[in-house]
Amino acid sequence: MSSAAQKMFAASPRLRAALWIYAISFYVILYAPLLMIVVLSFNNSPIVGFPLHGFTIRWYQKVFATSEFLSAMVNSFAVGALAAVVSTGLALLLGLGFRRTFPLKSALFNLVLMPIVMPGIVGGIVLLLFFGYLNIRPSLYTTVLIAHINWVLPFAFLTLYPRVHNFDSTLEEAAMDLGARPLEVFIHIVFPIIRPAFIATMLFSFSLSFDEFVRTLFVTGYDRTIPVMFWSKIVDQLAPELPAMAVVIILISATMSLLGALVSQRASVRSQYVSGE
Amino acid sequence: MTSVVAQTRDALPSGRRARRRIRWSLVALLGPAVVWLGIFVIVPLGFTVAMSFWKSTIFGTSPDFQFGNYREALASPLYLNLLLKTLRIGIVTTLISLALSYPVAYFLSMLKGKEKAALLLLLFMPFWTSYVVRTFIWLPILGRTGALNEFLMAVGLISEPLPWLIYNEGAIYLGLVYVYTLFMTLPIYLSIEKIDPRLIEAATDLGARPGWVFLRVILPLSWPGVIAGSLMVFLLAVSAYVTPQLLGGVSGIMFSNMIAAQFLNNNNWAMGAALSVVLSVVVLAILLVVGRWAGIQQVFTDGRTR
Repeated sequence: MSSAAQKMFAASPRLRAALWIYAISFYVILYAPLLMIVVLSFNNSPIVGFPLHGFTIRWYQKVFATSEFLSAMVNSFAVGALAAVVSTGLALLLGLGFRRTFPLKSALFNLVLMPIVMPGIVGGIVLLLFFGYLNIRPSLYTTVLIAHINWVLPFAFLTLYPRVHNFDSTLEEAAMDLGARPLEVFIHIVFPIIRPAFIATMLFSFSLSFDEFVRTLFVTGYDRTIPVMFWSKIVDQLAPELPAMAVVIILISATMSLLGALVSQRASVRSQYVSGE
Repeated sequence: MTSVVAQTRDALPSGRRARRRIRWSLVALLGPAVVWLGIFVIVPLGFTVAMSFWKSTIFGTSPDFQFGNYREALASPLYLNLLLKTLRIGIVTTLISLALSYPVAYFLSMLKGKEKAALLLLLFMPFWTSYVVRTFIWLPILGRTGALNEFLMAVGLISEPLPWLIYNEGAIYLGLVYVYTLFMTLPIYLSIEKIDPRLIEAATDLGARPGWVFLRVILPLSWPGVIAGSLMVFLLAVSAYVTPQLLGGVSGIMFSNMIAAQFLNNNNWAMGAALSVVLSVVVLAILLVVGRWAGIQQVFTDGRTR
């Protein structure tokens, strides 16, 4: 039951200890900057940085009193929710289609993954040029939403496809043999089983969209999303409430992804149970 | 009786009808995504390629077919040097990330049970948050009044702030590795996990020392993860926009920043389109060459973000 690495290290405790020390320092370096920003967010000083001047929560109060921040939050939640629903829906249909064989299947697979491979800035620029030429002004629910769905769809597909693919098809065949139509089979058999994976994919999709920046920056109209608003605040001037804002943003996306991971854990337990892997 | 017969006939249609139904349901399943990708990915991309041959003047961008943008992009040392610098940063970032990630991936796969689950989750958490925010947090650490300078002065190692901690290529490496290293750690971890432990037993039983087992068994078998992770980190690093902009300083720009400048400062859309095509083609070419060599589809199904 033990992995290859476990086997190796049962034999050499000194190497094991060395790896532990290395890993601990890796995690410390990973988390130190995040802790630092939490500390700075409570620093009672109008300048972002050190030295520390005592404890205050006024930067948090300021963040939640800033209308720019609040409207960006609404925009990001709206776009994130729409992008999650559309891309997870498209990914589910694609996943069901990919269980069969059809001509140009691997070409379509590559096409779906293309937005991951394309340099981020190009993903935004192509939409800027295209919609600019069509004289469609960049806005939240046109260009930004499209850019987000383009970006999220391949990840939604990669997350959902294995779940749909590993699905035990004898369950479907049994239902078909008993006279159920394909749509009935989907509604009563397939969907209930993959529902946790579906929900997990939506949560991941939301958090990908919530954090998206470089594809969004060049197609943003009047309404900004959270990362774009945050960016403009860094570039304009290093506003003192930025650390507090950073902490709030981190907490939101981490919570969403954590929820996704929990649901997905349940989904994988259930799919193992169903597919008998 | 007749209704049962009718139902059976309905449920088991003749061969041709069944085939047609299957074909139509396939169209219904694949159609929406294909239409979406066609309209919002393929067409805009094709349009960008077309526009890269156009000409931008102060009066706007006009559709006359010419190679001027590409001649400038490939002949002018400005663009070519920047492209080479960007590729170099991509390679160095990938190598640093590989060196730092491999031991962590190995470490994670030697753990068991709750310990393993907890440390994996701890590894994921930071990468689930915005990379703009995670790049920004280096400003108050590396800057003149930043944490690092304050610390070094408090300890007495330096008497005034070091200005060179930020706004140079080193800061770009730090930022990129910090933001993207999970994309290296994860595929390597997954590939080490897949190695059959009996191979280690066999090698050990036959008298191989641990170092030898690592070099001859574990390292070669984790190679697909190394390739997948390297490709992901390289792709992300050469496309970097945020990190060089925030941490690289005035001379620290990369190719994506140059593309952005065509739209933000120069108002030269045709040139911006051409530079976008150049970067995409270079990235795609590298991906195809390395991908063919390593099995591209596996790279993507194994290298996915979770």
